Amino acid sequence: MNAMPLRWLHRNLFGKPADAALTLVIVPFCAWVLIVILRWALVTADWHILADSARVLLIGIYPVEEIWRAWFCGFVLAGIAGGSLGILLPAAVPLLAGLAGAGLIGGLALLAAGAADGLLAVGCLWTALAAWALLARSFTLCRFAGPVFLLAFGAMFLVLAGPGLERWGGLLLSVILTIATSCLVLPLGILLALGRQSRIGSVRVLCTAYIEVMRSIPLILVVYWIWIIVPLLLPGLPVPALLRGMAGYALFFSAYVAEYVRSGLQALSKGQVEAAQSLGMGTWSTNLDIVLPQALRVTLPALVGQILDTFNGATLVFIIGLTDFLRSGQMILANPQNSSKVYEIYLTMFAVYFVIGSAITYASRKLEAHLGRGTR
Amino acid sequence: MKIQHQVNAAGSTRPIVSFSRFNKYYGTYHVLKDIDLDVSRGEVMVVIGASGSGKSTLIRCVNGLETYQAGELHVDGYDMPNAADRELGGDRELASIRRGVGMVFQQFNLFPHKSVLDNVTIAPMRVRKRKRAEAEAVGQKLLERVGLRDHAHKFPGQLSGGQQQRVAIARALAMEPHLMLFDEPTSALDPEMVGEVLDVMRELAVEGMTMMIVTHEMGFAREVADRVVYIDRGHILEVGTPTQIFDDPQQERTQTFLSRVLRH
Repeated sequence: MNAMPLRWLHRNLFGKPADAALTLVIVPFCAWVLIVILRWALVTADWHILADSARVLLIGIYPVEEIWRAWFCGFVLAGIAGGSLGILLPAAVPLLAGLAGAGLIGGLALLAAGAADGLLAVGCLWTALAAWALLARSFTLCRFAGPVFLLAFGAMFLVLAGPGLERWGGLLLSVILTIATSCLVLPLGILLALGRQSRIGSVRVLCTAYIEVMRSIPLILVVYWIWIIVPLLLPGLPVPALLRGMAGYALFFSAYVAEYVRSGLQALSKGQVEAAQSLGMGTWSTNLDIVLPQALRVTLPALVGQILDTFNGATLVFIIGLTDFLRSGQMILANPQNSSKVYEIYLTMFAVYFVIGSAITYASRKLEAHLGRGTR
Repeated sequence: MKIQHQVNAAGSTRPIVSFSRFNKYYGTYHVLKDIDLDVSRGEVMVVIGASGSGKSTLIRCVNGLETYQAGELHVDGYDMPNAADRELGGDRELASIRRGVGMVFQQFNLFPHKSVLDNVTIAPMRVRKRKRAEAEAVGQKLLERVGLRDHAHKFPGQLSGGQQQRVAIARALAMEPHLMLFDEPTSALDPEMVGEVLDVMRELAVEGMTMMIVTHEMGFAREVADRVVYIDRGHILEVGTPTQIFDDPQQERTQTFLSRVLRH
């Protein structure tokens, strides 16, 4: 038994002289970095700042008296996240029970520490676990997952809109902006990609021009430009900055999605379309039943990467005056009282971005395997 | 069985496919030159010729997968729109023609993301608006007929080439076509699988299906065909019964071609 780890070490870290040398440099260096960070995080750092600023980080400047709306979103998002997990992964009872128990203990600890929201957080976790268990067990429910998620998202939008769109902020804003943009971008991108291959010349030229123009200018410019141009086009109608921002992101990223989808369309053999045509299937049916399912499958990893890009790109909304997650952190630090807490805040934001980013990447890999079934 | 075909062919007044002064170009390249050819209902016509002679192009024109520039083509009671018509539309005729014409490809072209049964039922459901249960009942019957009843819920990638091609035949038959086109259906198969596909085609011929077949299987052609067409560089050089073409070809080129293919 003891020989196994040794053999692993030998083969992987000290296989050749060069490997050994590299290992001797890199391992101590990483260990040193880790120790420095850990010692700072556990000894020096003052994490009380997080308890005080958690609300701002999560929901930014959203009014405190309307906070139930934010909690509603928390529950819905937890349900959607859990449900998505349920579609992709089997629900192992010990794992779920363990998570539920750990959540409860954590929540009680928070409650004991005086944070009444602890129980609500536990509620969110349990919602996610319940959705996971439900969808992992039932194929019938999985079929309805897509539309239900969309409806839930719409409901969330309406509930949250109560105090006004300009009050949205924090991590919640980043997440909602990302989901909304992703929902808009996929159909737009597909239409653009199909338009680029259209038989009708004017459609083809228009789509190609749009895609090329959007891809040759930076995101920040598009977002800013949409923000200033909408009031010019619709003088009497005050469109909230959030919607203008969303439009900017959707218009910008749809060009990229169109190119991803196009690469998927090109990967498809000509025979597939010919087979559909020879069966008498029309353009719509050919595209919806034969072409797109296969093209999107190929494109999927890129599309999920796109969601991640959108999430990370959402940090740019500060230029149109919105307070996203990153901006919320900076807002906290702008308070002179907190000026010494730079590392705590930024390390937290790093951790949150890292966790969400890795979760999305992991989900994309699972989704790829999930959809890959049966194709080969 | 041959005799029965000829009775059928003689019995119907209008040919199901009729080319007249038909010309097709790829750009400036003249692929099919002044084709005049009729196919009667119930007839099995085999098209032979060297590669690049235009034989595949000829049958791909019959369901509009290729356009043509000049002449006329009538299929199953419709006028096939030519390239100029297709620029302006002509989708409705095309759809009507395709509904009645089944096609089997060299590369099978099954839908890899759909199960075998879904491959067979998708077109009846989408094009003929059949109910799923009804389409599946018919689909199961067709799969049974091509000997693949137990494979209905597999995906195409899990089947051998011969099995895939038989699914492709079942898929085309599900639309209840009046005419079946076969574009080198056995050319992409391992030799031991050719037989199973030819068996299915042979049964179809016996049942009186009208078929246009491009193939290099000369033995099969001799056995099943009512007429054999020899195409050479875009011209129809010779048309006749298998006996006429294989045993007593009139044209020198036909003789050369046949001596090359039949030698081994």
